[in-house]
Formats: sequence, structure tokens, C-alpha cells
Amino acid sequence: MPVNSDSGQPSVESQRGITLAGDLHARPAGALAVAASRFASAVSVSAGGRTADARSVLGVMGLGATSGQHVTVTAVGPDAADAVAAIIAILADATKTGG
Amino acid sequence: MSVGIVLVSHSAELAAGTAHLAGQVSGGTVTVVAAGGTDDGGLGTSAAKVERGLREADTGAGVVVLPDLGSAVLTVRAVLEDMPGRRVIMADAPFVEGAVAATVTAAGGGDVAAVAAAAEEARHARKL
Repeated sequence: MPVNSDSGQPSVESQRGITLAGDLHARPAGALAVAASRFASAVSVSAGGRTADARSVLGVMGLGATSGQHVTVTAVGPDAADAVAAIIAILADATKTGG
Repeated sequence: MSVGIVLVSHSAELAAGTAHLAGQVSGGTVTVVAAGGTDDGGLGTSAAKVERGLREADTGAGVVVLPDLGSAVLTVRAVLEDMPGRRVIMADAPFVEGAVAATVTAAGGGDVAAVAAAAEEARHARKL
């Protein structure tokens, strides 16, 4: 039986991966953390066998994710699919330019 | 309206540079005020600068203050005693990491308790 949130939407899990086009630096990590906090779902980012809460900018930077590395984004909650899509878009865009 | 951040450092340059970094990483939507150095520009802290910083940073959602070293704590405490009633939390956190974590959490809509907690959790974040 699915868990229902306050919004009445069932809690679901969503997951997608991306291969980074550049290193995951401070500014994209910050953008990712700010974006993750806009969703009700719990979002995590995994790379190289380590996992960080996507809302933790220091945790995301601490992954040390580099160009060419595969990163997995997982969300659990009522808006999991949207959350994963938003985080993947930031990773795709921001790691092209670095910073 | 997000929580404001005040960075109290013994060095004006350290406070300003950390405020710049935190603003860049968080996307520039949060008021981050640097309150560094003495009134005459030397190394030390200034109650007047801290007080101005608190007023400037408080846009209605409260303020989280980060001191760089122990004696900055004394200055902040003295100022807060003269400014009762404001929603201000002083966070016990590493200065740079705490400033970045606090500002990003404020940009994401966190309240004063969440922003202060993010700063204090920075102590456990590994860089390597």
C-alpha cells in the first residue's frame, strides 16, 4: 500500500543516472541543493559508491564527482519524478561549464 | 523572504570573501552581510558593524550569525543582549563551510532553525 502525503499524492520512487560532462563544482552543487529543497520528496545523489542528501551542498561537493563519472539521482516522495528531472537537468547543464 | 546571514570575522577581507563565495554558490538570492574587522579597519571585531549587519540582514525571516573565532562570539553576544526580540541564532560552525551551507539552506527556503542547523552540521561534512 503506497504511503500518502498531505497533498494526497502517493509516494513513489524515481531514479535516473547521468554521466557528467564536467566536474561537479561549488556553484552547480549549490544550485542542485537549492533546487532539491523545493520538492517534498527526499532526494539523494550517488557517485563512486558514496551517497549525499541532495539538499546538503557540502555533502554534494564532498562526493567529489568528476567529469566522465556516472551519477545517480534518487527521489522518494509525492513529486519524485519531477525532482529527479530537475536535478538531472542541473547536472546536465551546470557541469558543461564548471565553476 | 529568506533568512539573512551575518558573517562576523576578525578580518574584513575574510568576511567579505566568504560572503561573496556563499552568495555565488547559493545563487545570490539571500542577504549575506560581512561584518569583519574593527571600526578603524584593523583585525578584530566591531559591535557597531555586527549591529548594522543584523539590521541589514533581517528582512523579516530572522538571521543566522556565524562568528569566525571565539572572541567574535563575545562581540556577537554583547550586541544581541542589546537587541532583544529579534529572531537571531548564532551558529557554532566552521566559518567557510558553515556560511556556504547556511546560505544555500536559506536560499532553499529554510527557517532560522534549519539554516542554523545546516551551518552546525557543516562540522561533520568531509571534504576528502
